[in-house]
Amino acid sequence: MMGWLDKRPSIAYLCVMAETATPEIQTGVVQTTDEKPKSTLEPGYLVICWNDPVNLMDYVTHVFQIVFGWQRKKAEFHMLQVHEQGKSVLKRDGMERAEHYVHQLQQYTLHATMERDE
Amino acid sequence: MKLIRSTKTRLVFDLSQREEQMLLRLLKLYPCVPAAHHVLSKTSRLSDAAANQQLLDESLAEQRAQNKKQLQTLLADPRRLEHTESGARLSLSPAEAEWFMQVLNDIRVGSWILLGSPDGNPLELTPAKAPHFVAMERAGYFQMQLLEALEGGA
Repeated sequence: MMGWLDKRPSIAYLCVMAETATPEIQTGVVQTTDEKPKSTLEPGYLVICWNDPVNLMDYVTHVFQIVFGWQRKKAEFHMLQVHEQGKSVLKRDGMERAEHYVHQLQQYTLHATMERDE
Repeated sequence: MKLIRSTKTRLVFDLSQREEQMLLRLLKLYPCVPAAHHVLSKTSRLSDAAANQQLLDESLAEQRAQNKKQLQTLLADPRRLEHTESGARLSLSPAEAEWFMQVLNDIRVGSWILLGSPDGNPLELTPAKAPHFVAMERAGYFQMQLLEALEGGA
């Protein structure tokens, strides 16, 4: 599941300082873009937890809370998504952070992988 | 296994003799998940996928060796596992309880793998499979006691 942070339009505030003045841009102008090419949206790795019939639901919820620092409600939402849909995208992040999360989840023996977001 | 005291720094459990024997027998199975069980990616479309997988394998192997050592230290420490007339008293910090749950879940998942990774349908238990099934269920039992203690307190 993509979080709202990943979908929000990007807003670039272009504040022009005197020594770097560029004639085309006015001071205080706000440019907004609804979409950016995906390739420029870093980071780009998805941390995914896959369903298995052995990990207990309360345990999975607890692990999500610990590893990601989530509130119980959010952790439960993702746990149920894993349970009912077979997987849940837990995080979208840079390669090193994604690796870190996968490693953490695997230490708890959850079935977690990272996949390139394409 | 019953939580008898819970503070910010310590969780104390009472175990019956039977539970103590069950727990000690269970912990001898650690590590139970095969080393090659965890994969970093299902698609292998990561840059340096093989090298990263190797790093993950090495890191997990190191972690498991460390866990095994820590487990032996903990079980040999009478301040952590104290024998009583009725069984034993297990005393853990919340961080140790968290770690202990990881160890138990390794045994639970490893036993499930040894059972042939059944998908949740009723199992056909054979004499060969029965010990793995018992280990899986017992690990789950102890895990839930720790989880309840960590989340709910006494």
